[in-house]
Amino acid sequence: MTRSVAEAVTDRSGVPSRAGGGQLRLPITRGWRIKEAPAAWLLIAPVIILFGISVVYPLIDTIRLSFFDIKGLAPAKWVGIGNYVTLFNDPTFRGTLVTTLIFTLGTTAISVSLGWALAMLCAFAPVHTTPFRGMMFVTFGISEAVSGYMWLNILRPDKAGLLNAIIGIFIPGYAHSWLGDPNTALWALIFVASWSGVGLPLMLCFAAVQSIPKTVLEAAYMDGAKPTSIMRHIMMPLSLPGVRVAIFINLLGALRAFDIIYVMTGGGPVRATETVGYFMYRESMTQFKLGYGAAATVVLLVAVLVISIPAIIQRTAGAK
Amino acid sequence: MFNRTLRRRTVMAGVMLAALAGVSPSVLAQDLSGELVILQWQTGTDGQMWKDVEAKFVELHPGVTIREFQPAGGQGDARGGMRTALLGGEVVDIIINTWPAFRAELVNSGILRPIDDQWASFGWDDKLSQSWRDLGSIDGTTYGITYTYGDRSAIWYKTAQLEKAGITPPATWEEFLASFDKLKAAGYPAPVVIPAKYWAHTEWFETLLLRTAGVEAAAQLAAHQIPWTDPKVKTALMKYAEMLQAGCCAEPATMLAIEQPYPTLYTSEDSSYLLFGMWTNSALKNDLGLTEGVDYSIFQFPTLGMGFDDTSSVDAKELNVTTNGANPAAADAFLDFIVGPEASNIMANYGYASPSTAMDASLLGPVQTIATGAVSSSKVQFVLGDLLPGDLVDEYRVQLQKFLQNPTEATVDEVLAAIEAKAATAY
Repeated sequence: MTRSVAEAVTDRSGVPSRAGGGQLRLPITRGWRIKEAPAAWLLIAPVIILFGISVVYPLIDTIRLSFFDIKGLAPAKWVGIGNYVTLFNDPTFRGTLVTTLIFTLGTTAISVSLGWALAMLCAFAPVHTTPFRGMMFVTFGISEAVSGYMWLNILRPDKAGLLNAIIGIFIPGYAHSWLGDPNTALWALIFVASWSGVGLPLMLCFAAVQSIPKTVLEAAYMDGAKPTSIMRHIMMPLSLPGVRVAIFINLLGALRAFDIIYVMTGGGPVRATETVGYFMYRESMTQFKLGYGAAATVVLLVAVLVISIPAIIQRTAGAK
Repeated sequence: MFNRTLRRRTVMAGVMLAALAGVSPSVLAQDLSGELVILQWQTGTDGQMWKDVEAKFVELHPGVTIREFQPAGGQGDARGGMRTALLGGEVVDIIINTWPAFRAELVNSGILRPIDDQWASFGWDDKLSQSWRDLGSIDGTTYGITYTYGDRSAIWYKTAQLEKAGITPPATWEEFLASFDKLKAAGYPAPVVIPAKYWAHTEWFETLLLRTAGVEAAAQLAAHQIPWTDPKVKTALMKYAEMLQAGCCAEPATMLAIEQPYPTLYTSEDSSYLLFGMWTNSALKNDLGLTEGVDYSIFQFPTLGMGFDDTSSVDAKELNVTTNGANPAAADAFLDFIVGPEASNIMANYGYASPSTAMDASLLGPVQTIATGAVSSSKVQFVLGDLLPGDLVDEYRVQLQKFLQNPTEATVDEVLAAIEAKAATAY
């Protein structure tokens, strides 16, 4: 007796049907039986192979390289944890850690808070703000290199720079080199990265607000709550899951930032905008100290894991 | 009869072998074939010039095809991409190189093939002087053949701006400093443009070092035989400070943000002087359509009167051949071709000078003529930044950025101490 596809995969209780002995009957080929575990492995194998080639192998090789002293084309020399010791004694690297921290926290705070605030406002008129949300999300889709070149012109040091021209309306002749001044370059980068990253928090927080049951909002209105109270006491707390995801994604993105720094400042002036990601590139690709650069990569990886693992555990804690 | 025939054949074969042995490799090269792979990283006008050179070679050797392998670039320094290509197993016959320190790295890794035998058999002594051969040698073995060079102590200026300011190209340091006020009065607020985002701000220091301490001191500094804290180095940097304090330039933040390519920079109306490599000539001629000697010109770095005014900084490009190249015969022939009249004259037409005597000097424009004259009458030293270990050159550039921000004696001491600290670990 053969059942339909839906019946075969799921019985009425929603549990995959088994033809006894832990075997899953595949209905497409009549009478074909395959053990559940091998089937699962077979199906997941392509992903595992690709993941192994593109992620696991490079990761292991990067860790391996970090224990070698490799300068240019010279043969590699085993140095154990020497690169890590040098790295943490390197004032330049310690400086990049501070810069990375400021950049990461700055861009995350600005883009998430701005995205969240905009999401709250958009939630009051979801239909009418669709084009606006679309436009904001486009910034997230633009390549960082492209937006970097665009902002290079906006932040040009002379009067032809758009920002200087706008300020020049109020202060005639104003010209500031936003990216050439070590005091403003990092903040200019944070602003640009935040502009580029605000679309995602906006969409995530907006989606979180949209998922609030209408009955809750209707009850609040019927109880005479004002829009500001609804926002403060209902929409903001109930959209927190979206905010958490946005913070998580923005933190990871900012930690690994490279493109926008490469295009806009090249880590300068005077290393004022050199993050760990750029340091890693400079040491590995410009100086061609592959072992040292690999050690910096591993440190960055650990930082990413420190943020990711608790977040993943927290997000999946309720999952069965 | 048999013996006579055999003897005749033997004699004929011997004659033919002797004839072949006597034929120059240039003639043998006519029968070259196969693919020639060149690790070529130049772009823009330089890249186009190189394509013209390659096309001419293929025209002379129709059996050869040329494939360029272009490594990924990186903010003006192609070495990273070149190393990646070579470590990644890319097999090339010829490498274009402009960094003596990189040549040493290639030699130490067993990638380069010596060319002393070729130098003798092709007779390159007739085309290149011993000094050019020395430039491409390491410990007495020749690895590079220089095919173009540039004067890095030439200051570019816009003729119309100097005319408007009522000044002639300054000959002395004092005249040079005094010209700033006149240029400002004529409407050019930052007489000297220094693009300091990456490396161009070091050019001034390097020529000032030569003019205040001489080529020997510069060579010693490059090899770290004298420390960066040596008074000679400090004197050079203090001269640089003198120029900055005389109001030569825009705000430090503006200098540190300038990254525009030289043609764009040159069209800026704010500035008049630029110390930059001779490839500027090709870019101005070919990219901007300016007329050499009419729209722009150069003057050699002003004299300082400190006993070293006969010195100049130079750069050069050379070709290296590899040990594992698949077509060594074609590679050697290309080396011979690059210092021959066809290639040299193509480069001259683009505005580049070749060190080869085969170049028709009449093809050089007025700017290149000034530059080649200045170099030939100078004691020269290769660009310092290209001689320093990679690790150190980065620190050197960053520290000089710091210096630009606040060019005081205290900063000079601090900056030189920082470079010295890095140098202590870089060799």
